Amino acid sequence: MNHSGLSGYPRCKCRARPRFLNGYNPSVADFLMEMMRILLRPLHRWVWLDAARRARKLLCFAETEADGGRHLVRAAEVTPDPLLRRLFLFHARDEQRHAELFRRRGAALLHALSAPPRCGYRADWLAPGERGLDDLRIEELEDGALLAFLHLSEKSAATDFASYRDVLQRDPPTRAVFEEVLRDEAYHMNYTLSQLVRVSAQRHRLLLWRARLSRLWKGYLRVAIALAGVISGLVLTILYFTLLVPFALLAKRLAWREPTGWLPVSSERNASLDRQY
Amino acid sequence: MKILGISAHYHDSAAALVIDGVPVAAVQEERLSRRKNDAAFPLLSIEWCLDHAGIEAGALDAVVFYERPMLKFDRILTCALRAFPRSWRAFPKAMKNSLGEKVWVRGVISSYLGVPARKVLFTEHHQSHAAAAFLTAPTPRAAILTTDGVGEWATLSIGLGARRPDGAASITLLREVRFPHSLGMLYSTFTAYLGFAVNEGEYKVMGLASYGRPTLVNEVRRLIRRTADGAFALELDYFEFHTTAQRSYSSRFIDLFGPPRSPYEPIDLQTAEGRRFADCAASVQFVLEDTLLGIARALRQETGLPDLCMGGGVALNGVANARILAESGFERLFVPPAPGDAGCALGAALYADRIHFDNPDREVPDHPFWGPAVDGSALAQLAHEDRQVCDELDDSELIDRTADDLIAGRVVGWMDGALEFGPRALGHRSILAAPHAAEMRDRLNRDIKYREEFRPFAPAVPIEAADRYFELPPGGARLARFMSGVFPVRPEWRTRLAAITHTDGTARLQTVEQSMAPRLHALLESYGRRSGIPVLLNTSFNLAGEPIVNRAVEGYSTFRRSGIDVLVAGRTRVVKRASSAMQQEKIACSRSVAR
Repeated sequence: MNHSGLSGYPRCKCRARPRFLNGYNPSVADFLMEMMRILLRPLHRWVWLDAARRARKLLCFAETEADGGRHLVRAAEVTPDPLLRRLFLFHARDEQRHAELFRRRGAALLHALSAPPRCGYRADWLAPGERGLDDLRIEELEDGALLAFLHLSEKSAATDFASYRDVLQRDPPTRAVFEEVLRDEAYHMNYTLSQLVRVSAQRHRLLLWRARLSRLWKGYLRVAIALAGVISGLVLTILYFTLLVPFALLAKRLAWREPTGWLPVSSERNASLDRQY
Repeated sequence: MKILGISAHYHDSAAALVIDGVPVAAVQEERLSRRKNDAAFPLLSIEWCLDHAGIEAGALDAVVFYERPMLKFDRILTCALRAFPRSWRAFPKAMKNSLGEKVWVRGVISSYLGVPARKVLFTEHHQSHAAAAFLTAPTPRAAILTTDGVGEWATLSIGLGARRPDGAASITLLREVRFPHSLGMLYSTFTAYLGFAVNEGEYKVMGLASYGRPTLVNEVRRLIRRTADGAFALELDYFEFHTTAQRSYSSRFIDLFGPPRSPYEPIDLQTAEGRRFADCAASVQFVLEDTLLGIARALRQETGLPDLCMGGGVALNGVANARILAESGFERLFVPPAPGDAGCALGAALYADRIHFDNPDREVPDHPFWGPAVDGSALAQLAHEDRQVCDELDDSELIDRTADDLIAGRVVGWMDGALEFGPRALGHRSILAAPHAAEMRDRLNRDIKYREEFRPFAPAVPIEAADRYFELPPGGARLARFMSGVFPVRPEWRTRLAAITHTDGTARLQTVEQSMAPRLHALLESYGRRSGIPVLLNTSFNLAGEPIVNRAVEGYSTFRRSGIDVLVAGRTRVVKRASSAMQQEKIACSRSVAR
C-alpha cells in the first residue's frame, strides 16, 4: 500500500503526525474507521471493477465537487472574516478543479467503452463521494460551525477517496486523479481545523462534536428519507396496478376522442381567479 | 392596492410586488439564494420585495400564484393514466413530487405569509405569460402569443389585449394548443438529445444551429405536423416526455436521427458527428421558426392589429422572434425582459390588478431593473480588506477610466443600480469587453465563462447608433431593447466586431436608450469616442452553473475566481492584482493556516 495512517491520508501528509490532528484523541474513532475501511475493501473493489460504473461514479463525483465549490463560494461571500473569505475562495477553486479532474476522467472512461452504458446500478450507498455539503445552509451557520462541518466532511471524503484509490491498481489514470484530490483534501482538513481553533479557540471541540452529531443526524435522515421513498414508491406502484386500471382505460378512451389543433378557451376560464382548478 | 405575484415549484421561482398598479419590486429566487434555477418557494424574494416596499405581508390585498396547481395535477395524473402501463415508473415519482407541496399552494402561501386563504388567488399559467407580455408593453391593443413547454394543459395560446380609453384593460385568450402537443417540448427534446440540460441548454441549441444546415428538416417535420386549423400536433411515437421521466425521446426518434450526443463529449464541428448534431439543431430551429411564423401570420390576418406581444419560454428564442418581426406582418413585437416562468410572477400580479380587481390601467415603467441595488461601498470595504487596488471616483471619471480599461483589452465586471429581472444582463450586472477581436470571445469563453466555443456573445449599442452597425428591420430596435432579437451585423463591420458576430453573421444585440440605462449609455459613448465604434460585448455577470450576481460581494467573488480584470460597482472601481501577487496571497494564507 502506498499510504499509511489512520484514515488513509496520503503518505506525505500522514507520516509525520499532522499538526491538525493535535488536540484530540484519534485512537478509537480512527481505529474503527480504519477497520471499516479494510473490511469494506472487497466491496469497493467490486464497485470500482466495472468501467461503466466507474465512469458514472466519477461523473457523479464531479457534480458533487462542483456543488461543494459553489457552497464554498457562498461561504466566502457570507463570512465577515477576510482570511476565511480568501481561504474559502481558494478551497472553492480546488473543488472546481477536482470537479474538472473527475469529469475529464469519467468522460475518458465513457469514451473508451465499446458500447454506451445502460443506466445501471451506481452503488452510491456502498461507495459515496463527498456529500457533506449537500444539505448545508451556509447562511444560517456561524464560521466556527461551518469550519467544523467542513473539516469533518473533508476528512470523511478523504477516507473514502483513499479507499477507492487503493482498489484502483488496474486503472492508474483514475488512481492518479484520486491521488491528486487527496493531496488537496489533506490541506483542506488542515486549514479548516486550524481556522476552527483560531475563530473558536474555546469551543472548537464542542463544535466538532456538534458537527459529528449533525452529520449523524443527516445520515439518519438520508436513510429515513430513502426508506420512506422506497415504501411510498412501493405503495404507489401497487395502487397504480390495482386501483388505477379502470381509470386508465377510461382515460385512454377519452384520449382517442380528444381533438388535436386549436381548442377554444372558454370565457369562464378568463374570469375567475379564486379557483385552483 | 398591494398585490404580490409568485411563481414557484418548477423552475425559476420569483416574486413581484405591484402597488397601486405599478411594479415596485421583482426578483428571481436564484439571485438571492444563489442556487441556479432555484425552484423552491421564493421566500427570500418575497421577503425582499416586502422589505423594499416597507410593508408587512398582512398589508397585502392579494397574493397571486402564477398557475392553477390542481389543474396542473389533473394534467400530470391524466397523462400517467393515458400512458398506462408504460408510466409505471414515472407515476410514483410524479405523485410524490406533486403531493408533497405543489398541490397545496393556497395553504402553503397562507401559512408562510400569514395571510388569509381567501386572499390567495390563482391565474392560469398562460394568462400570467400573456399579462407579463401585454400589460408591460407600451401598446394600446395587441395580439398575444404565448408559448412554452407546458403550463397546466396549454402549451401555446393566442389572444387579444386591449387598453380602453376609460382606463380598463382586458386580456382575452381565444384558443390554445394542449399538452402533449408543445413547441417548447419539441425544442427541449432536441436539447436533451443534443446532450444539453433541459430548461437551461436551449440557448446552446440556438447557438449551435448557426453552425449547421437544416438538412434534416423533413425528418423533423415527421415529428410535428400542421393541423388543418393552422395549429400543430406532435407525432407522439417519437417522444417519451409525456409517459416517462427517464428521457424525452423514444427509440423511434433515435432510429430517425441517430444516436444522441453524450453530454460529456465535446462537440467537434470538424467531425461528421459534430456536424450532424449542428444540422439537427439547425433543422429543429428552422421548423420552430416556420411553425411560429405560420401561427403569427394567421394571427395578424385574423386580428389586423399592428402589434404582437409574445410571452413564454419560447419567446427567448431571438432568432425566431426576429423572423416573426420581419415576416409575419406585425409592425412591432414586444417581448418582456422576463418572458419565462419568472416573469409570470409579475404577470400574475398585474393580471389580478387590472382584470380581477378591475383597477384602471397604469403605465408600467419600460425597464427590467426591479431587483436589489448594488452598494459600491460594500465592494470598497471588501477590496480594502483584501488589499486590492481600489478607487472611488465620480461618475464621469469612472466612465472614462472604464472606457480606457476596455480599450486596453481588459475585461470589466460592471454592476450598476438595481438588478435585472429576467435571464438577460442588460447593463446592470454585466461583463463588458471590447467587441473587436475573435480572441476576446475565445478568452471570455475559456477563462471567464467556462463554456462551449460555439456560443456567441451579445453586443450592446446606443440606440442612436444601432442602425449603423446592424441591419435592423422596422421595429427591430424595440425588439432589441431587452435583447430579444437576433439581427445581422452589417457585413462591412463584421471583421471589426468579430467578438460579437456569430458564425452566421448575426448578433443578439441590446439597443441601449439613455433613459433606461444612463451609465451604460455614457460608457458606450465614451468607448465610442476612443475606439470609433460605440459597441461593447455584454454578457451576463456570472460563471458557468451560477446565477447572475446580485450584491457587490457576489460580484467580488466572481471577479476573484475568474479572468475579469476590473470590477466596477456603483462608483467603486477595483483592479485585479497581478497573478504573482495572487500567488503570494495564497502562500500567505497557507502560512497563516500553518501558524
